[in-house]
Amino acid sequence: MSRSKVKLGDMSKATEEPLVTMTAEDLMPLPPPVEKKETEPPILPLSENQRKNYESSLDGVSALMLPKPKGTQEEEKLVDRFLSGLKKLLSQDDNWLFWQPLMQTLDGCVRCQTCSEACPIYVSSGKQEIYRPTYRTELLRRLINKYIKKRGKVLSRLTGDDIELNWQTVARLAELAYRCTLCRRCAQTCPLGADNGLVTREIRKLFSEEMGIAPKEVHDSGTVQHLKVGASTGISPEAFQNMVEFMEDEIEDKTGKRIKVPVDKEGADILLIHNSGEFMSWIENPVAFSIIFEAAGLNWTLSSEIFGYEAVNYGTWYDDIQFARIALKQIKVAKKLKVKKIVVGECGHAHKGLVVIADRILVGDMNFPRESFLPLLEDLVLHGRLKLDPRKNDFAVTLHDPCNMVRLMGIIQPQRRILNEICPQFREMSPHGPENYCCGGGSGFAIMSPTNFPDWRAKISGRMKLKQILEAFREVMNPGVRKYVCAPCSNCKGMIRDLLSRDDLGERSNIRYGGLVDLVVNAMTNLPKPFIEWEQ
Amino acid sequence: MGGLILFIFYGGIVFFLVASVYRGIRYASAPLHVNWDIYSTNSIYAQTDWWTKSENPLCPKLGSMLLDILFLREFYHRNRRLWYPLYAFHVGLYLLIFWHLWLFVSAVTINIETASSIGWAWGTFSTVLAFMGAAGILVMRVVDEDLKVFYPPIHYIKWVFILLTLMGGIYAVDIHFKSDVPTLLKYVKEQVTFADFEHKLHPALGPALHVLFAAVWLIYLPFSHVFQLFFRYYHYLRWDEVANKPGSEVEKKVKEFLKRPVTWAAPHISPGETWEEVATKTRANPAAGTK
Repeated sequence: MSRSKVKLGDMSKATEEPLVTMTAEDLMPLPPPVEKKETEPPILPLSENQRKNYESSLDGVSALMLPKPKGTQEEEKLVDRFLSGLKKLLSQDDNWLFWQPLMQTLDGCVRCQTCSEACPIYVSSGKQEIYRPTYRTELLRRLINKYIKKRGKVLSRLTGDDIELNWQTVARLAELAYRCTLCRRCAQTCPLGADNGLVTREIRKLFSEEMGIAPKEVHDSGTVQHLKVGASTGISPEAFQNMVEFMEDEIEDKTGKRIKVPVDKEGADILLIHNSGEFMSWIENPVAFSIIFEAAGLNWTLSSEIFGYEAVNYGTWYDDIQFARIALKQIKVAKKLKVKKIVVGECGHAHKGLVVIADRILVGDMNFPRESFLPLLEDLVLHGRLKLDPRKNDFAVTLHDPCNMVRLMGIIQPQRRILNEICPQFREMSPHGPENYCCGGGSGFAIMSPTNFPDWRAKISGRMKLKQILEAFREVMNPGVRKYVCAPCSNCKGMIRDLLSRDDLGERSNIRYGGLVDLVVNAMTNLPKPFIEWEQ
Repeated sequence: MGGLILFIFYGGIVFFLVASVYRGIRYASAPLHVNWDIYSTNSIYAQTDWWTKSENPLCPKLGSMLLDILFLREFYHRNRRLWYPLYAFHVGLYLLIFWHLWLFVSAVTINIETASSIGWAWGTFSTVLAFMGAAGILVMRVVDEDLKVFYPPIHYIKWVFILLTLMGGIYAVDIHFKSDVPTLLKYVKEQVTFADFEHKLHPALGPALHVLFAAVWLIYLPFSHVFQLFFRYYHYLRWDEVANKPGSEVEKKVKEFLKRPVTWAAPHISPGETWEEVATKTRANPAAGTK
C-alpha cells in the first residue's frame, strides 16, 4: 500500500499485509560518508515464523511480539479490554496524574500539522502517514468520540468519528505506541501546546495497566525485574561490590593513586546514583565521577543496597504504577543512608523521572531532595574546584542533548558552559538545546531488541541523530581528525553506539562517543595519561 | 418570528455565560497533574538545591500569554504560512470585538448626530480583514494536502459560517443602515436601552440575520480553541515549576489524590486499592500479563 493512501480507517483493515512498507528510496537522505541509498538495505523483514505468530500488520515490524488472537473470543476480549482501559484513561480517579494534559491535547489540536515536520521519525521515514505525531492522537480521539462519548450518527459524520474498532485496530495501535520515542519535540512545536508525545505514553499506559501489554525488555526484564532484584540489569549487591573494586583498580590505573570509593557512607552529603547499565557497559563513567568527586573533596557515597545503585525507572515510559513503586524504593534507600540529597548521574530519563515527575507523588519525608549532576559539575568546573587544562581535550567535540534533561527538564546551559571551558573545539549540532533531536533510542527503544525492531530503530528513529552527528563533523570528517560525541545519558550512548556501528562508521571516520564526565577527567592536569583512549 | 430571534439571541448570551463558567470551573477543578512540562530556557532544575529556589514569577507568564493571544506568536515562529491568514482573521476579530463595544458605549454616551464616520471605516476594515483571513484559511484547508489531514467536515462548515456572518455584518451596516453611523447608533441605542420593543419583536432582515449569526457564535465561543489556550497557561502546562514543598497546597492535593481508588486491571496491579496502597505494594507474582 502506498503511503499517500494510508488513512485512519485503514487501521481497522482485516489484512495481514502491513499498511506501510518502506524502501531505502523512501527514507530521508543522509550526508557523506553514508549518503548512498543504493547500498542501504531495506528494513529487515520478519522471519516466516515470526510473521505467522506475531502481529506486524502496521509496518512489518514487531516491537511487542504481540501474539495474534486465536479465534473470535480472543479477538472480542482484546477489544473489550481496550475499551475498558480507554474509560479508565478518561477517569479522574484512575488517571489523575495525566488527566488534565491529556484532555488539553484531545480538545486543543487544530490539525495544523505543524508538529509533523518537527518529528524526526515522521521526517526520517520519508513522511509516512502512520508516523505523523497527530495520527495516533486522532485515532484515539475518534475512538473516544465514537465508543466512549457515543456521539450520534450525524455528529459522528460531521466530526469524522466514523471509525471501526476491531482487534486489528487495537493491535496496530499497540505497535504504533512504540514508534514514537516520547521526545516531545512535537509538543514543543505545537502553537497550541497539544502534546502528542503524551498521548503516545497514555496509549502505552492503557495497554500496560489494563491489558498487561508492554515490550518484554521494558516490563518483564525491566520494571518487574527491577522491583524483584533491585536493578533492571539484574546486578546483585555482591556483583555491585565487585564492580566497585574493579572501579578502584581502574582509578589506580588512570590516576596512579588507589582510592577507596565510598559505599554506604551514612550521613554523606550526596548519594550518587547511576544508571546501572553504566557499570555493565561503560564503567569509565562511574570511574570518572569518582575521580571528580574525590578531587573536589565532596562528601559523597554510592549505595550497595538494592534500588540504591540503579537510577533507571522504566515506568517513566509506559506505566505510572510501576514508576511510582520504583521511585519510592529509591527514595527509601537515600532516607536509610541519611544522606542530604540524591544526585542523579548521566541518565536522562532518571533525571526527568526521579527529580521531576516523582515530585508530585512523594509526600511528607518521602519527598527527599533530588537533583541533576549537571549544576553540581558546572559548579566544580567553573569555580576552580578542579585543575583542568582544556588543551588535553584538543579534538572535535559535539554535544548530544538528551531530551529528558534539556527539553523536558530545562537543564540547557550548564553542560554548554562546561564544554566551552574544557573543549577548545566544541561545536554545536544543528538544531541543539531544547530544539535538539532525540538520539532515536528514547523511551526504551535503546534497550528493546525483539525481532526486526532494532533494524527499524537504526534506520528510522536514529536516522536524524546520525545526520546531525555527521553534519556537526562535516568539516573534520577526515579520519585523521579525532571526533567525540558527548552524550551525557546512558540510553543515548547505547543508541549512538549502534548508529556509529553502521558500516563501521565510528571506526572508519574516527568518531567515538562518551559521557561528559569523561571529558572533564580527561582535562584534569594531574592525570599521568589520557583518560579517553583513542583507537587510532 | 421576532420573539424567536429574541429568544435565540438572549438565550445565546445566557448560554455563553453559563457554558463559560462551567468550562472554567471544569478546567480549574481538574485534578493536579504530575509535573510534565517542557522548557525552552533554563529552569530551576539547572541550579543546585533547586527546591530551595523560588519559582519563575507569574507576571512574565501572563505577559507571554497576552503576547501569544495578541500576535499568535507560536504560529508566527512555527508555521508562518498559516500565520498570515490566521493573523489577519484574528486581528479583524479583535478589532470587531472592540468595535461592537464602541458601538454599545457610544450609543449611550455621545451625541449620535455628530458621530464620526471613522466608526464606519473601523467596522468595515475589521470585517474585511477578518473575511480575507477566514477565506484564506478556508482555501488553504481545501487546497493544502497537509492542512486537509484529519480536518473534520464540521470545521469546514464553521469557516463557511464565519464568512456568512461577516457578510451578514456588511449587509446590515452597509445595505440596511446605508453605511450611516448615526442611524446605526440610533438602532443600537434602542437595543441597549430597550427603548423600542417593537423593533426587537419585528426586526428587519439585516439586523435579524446578524443577531442570529451572533447568537450561534456566542454558543460556540466557550468551546473554541482560544478559550482553551487561556486555560493551558492558567494550568501551567508549559512552565510548571511549582515544587511540592512540605505543607504546601501541592502536597495537600497529592495526599488527597493518593487516596483515590485504582481500578486498572493488568496482572501486576491489584484493583480496588488506593493509589497509595498500589504504589507501596508489589504483587507477589507481577507477571507480564496475558498478551
